Amino acid sequence: MTALTTAKIMRYIKYAMIALTAVLLLLTVLFVWNYAALMRARIISDREGELSAIVQHHGPLTASDVGLIRPWMTFDYINTLFKVPPDYLKTSLSITDASYPRLSLSGYAKYDVTSTDAMLTEVQQSLDTYLAATTSSTATTTAK
Amino acid sequence: MDALLNPILSYVLLYKYFAIFFVVYTGAIIIPWPANVMLLAVGAFASQGYISFWISLVVAVVANTLGDLTDYGISRIFGDAIIKKFRIDKVRFFIRLKEELVTDAAVTVFTTRFAGSLSSIANFLAGFVEVPFMTFLWFDLLGNIVEPFAALTLGYAVGNYWSDFSNLLSLTAGIIAAAVLLFILARMYRRMMHKYEEK
Repeated sequence: MTALTTAKIMRYIKYAMIALTAVLLLLTVLFVWNYAALMRARIISDREGELSAIVQHHGPLTASDVGLIRPWMTFDYINTLFKVPPDYLKTSLSITDASYPRLSLSGYAKYDVTSTDAMLTEVQQSLDTYLAATTSSTATTTAK
Repeated sequence: MDALLNPILSYVLLYKYFAIFFVVYTGAIIIPWPANVMLLAVGAFASQGYISFWISLVVAVVANTLGDLTDYGISRIFGDAIIKKFRIDKVRFFIRLKEELVTDAAVTVFTTRFAGSLSSIANFLAGFVEVPFMTFLWFDLLGNIVEPFAALTLGYAVGNYWSDFSNLLSLTAGIIAAAVLLFILARMYRRMMHKYEEK
């Protein structure tokens, strides 16, 4: 290999390194920006104890968390996540598909010829009703 | 990315470890699935008690390693024929790259495990330049334990809010990929500079 070719390859490597450094800087800026956004949203906190924040993220979901439901979630997963009896959603939404609860919301919306958004709203309302009822019955029992 | 990730997550919820294996294995071969973000979600599913953290980790490590070995095996078996057919062995940059990769095999294989799609390219290159099998296997396995463990642990830690961290994880993977490539090129450049000065 001639010295000239080596010099040429080295020049290309140098250009690639400069381009990569620019990409690296850009990605780092984006990372910091995203991190700051999570801190502003109080999802990451530098003052509160890290553990308390983590424990909060692991507690059973409540009525205020129904917004976390997404079309890719399955009924089985939603039942586990919100601690809902396995047949509650089947009954309240009159689901006839035999593969319930191993069925995603978007999959069922297609089967039921409903829009995914409408399906999502129905599931959220149904869970809201169930969770509100269980919360009030728990509160009554505690008061007694 | 959501258009690709959403059906994957549905399949993970339906078929659990089989889906994890399929996505990680095909992703390790070449298909650019968002496998790391999927593992972040799997970590969160584990924290919610829907899936086992340790079985998911074992499945991900085995699938990733088998995928990498598939790439390595294909290029190791058919590499010579392809190199001769397309006369790649006459391309000076390839000769230089081969020298550098064989010299730095362990470091290159290990560091590229954290570089997303770059790791598939590194697997094929490792087979082409005939990096010793055991060197490839051990450093691949080591990297493959660390990488899914990190994604699953982060998902487990952030739990229900894992989706808020998916951008952060993708950016981290991008930063690592750029840094790894920069590191490899810098080593190559330094070594070439040294030889050039000797001449």
